[in-house]
Amino acid sequence: MDIVTLGGNLLGTIPLGDIVLYLTPFNLFLFAVLLGFTALIAFSKPETQIEAAKFNTLGVAEVKVDEKEFKQRRFLSVICGIASAGAMITGDLFNFTLFMALVGILNIGIVSAVKQTSVLNSAFNYGLIAMMCSLPLFGGAAIILAATGTLSLSVLSQMSASPMVVFGAILMLIGILGESGVAPFFASKAEMFRTPGSPFIVIIHLSSLFIIVRAVEILLLVLW
Amino acid sequence: MRIGVLWNKLADPKNVPRLFAFSLGVLLIIGLLVPIALNPDQIYVRPAPQEQVDEGLALAPYDRGGEPLKEAGVIDPQYPENAASLGMITGYMSPIAQWISSISPYFGTSIYSSPGGLIDEILYYTRGFDTILESSILMMSFIIASWLSINYTMNRKNDEKEIKKDFKKAINDSTQVANEVKANDAKARSKQLRRDN
Repeated sequence: MDIVTLGGNLLGTIPLGDIVLYLTPFNLFLFAVLLGFTALIAFSKPETQIEAAKFNTLGVAEVKVDEKEFKQRRFLSVICGIASAGAMITGDLFNFTLFMALVGILNIGIVSAVKQTSVLNSAFNYGLIAMMCSLPLFGGAAIILAATGTLSLSVLSQMSASPMVVFGAILMLIGILGESGVAPFFASKAEMFRTPGSPFIVIIHLSSLFIIVRAVEILLLVLW
Repeated sequence: MRIGVLWNKLADPKNVPRLFAFSLGVLLIIGLLVPIALNPDQIYVRPAPQEQVDEGLALAPYDRGGEPLKEAGVIDPQYPENAASLGMITGYMSPIAQWISSISPYFGTSIYSSPGGLIDEILYYTRGFDTILESSILMMSFIIASWLSINYTMNRKNDEKEIKKDFKKAINDSTQVANEVKANDAKARSKQLRRDN
């Protein structure tokens, strides 16, 4: 499918050697929304939670994020926001998978210092998936490169898909599903949210949502 | 099995990597059946495997030809208009690299072919942004790991019990060392006395 059919008028390109970022209204909208949300995160303070299990006792029921952890999380979530914004406007298949790998590692980093063991446990399991995902993500991109001879999305969108391209796309799809935690692989990533520090935690969710939207566009470009 | 039981199993984070690994394995096995159809019209062309080795070139399999700043080597980018002087320095070799390539047939496959040897213009020119991203992935994982180890693994301000235990052990050790030094001292002194007399 053509870039123009999916994303609207081509407003321009940013050439970085062979990696050409292309700007369409669709991409720019996703990019701007993510950057806006990242800016909101950079200036906000984390929420505090009250643990319901401790309501009837005299103990402290507040769950807080201390300052050091707060700063680390804010830093990682801002980088995560920028990385997923980069994945929105990139025009190169391999570049997209690299952005995804970056987002995956930052997602683990954001929750790496929480005190709840259940959250850490699910983050560990998500880390296992993220590690496994590097095979289908980069392997899929490599198979598409071998089958078509190019990685540029605007060139790929003009080509017809051979069986090998379809296989590469499916491989990339399963990598994207695992990395962004879509059903049926949602449990480990969904459990990672159950911790205080709301605006930073939400970037985990938001980045995977946006990346799924963009991945659908990229797979349509490659396959049609 | 009822489907509800299955859903409940899926909700346990422990089972998710297993399911993912299983489905990935199944997909890869299916992939063996996919007909391989390579496109001969590739970007970043490389000569056929073993071709340069059979020719006896020292830089095999990375010889792209070209003369530094005079004649461009063979690199075929996707967008040649974005990389006007591509290939101009791909043939550059430092004096050490030239010397090693003159005495060894394995220069092209060795580690020293890269720094000051063959400059990979695909990495640093046409796909430079990818290289930046790759190293930032590595940097982020180092930041996370070092932050965790400094503030959690190595930080012992909060576990007082262990600190107390270690204090006790340190005191014991130092008294033991002091006693040994004392005993040695006395022994040496008596030896000296005996010799003097």
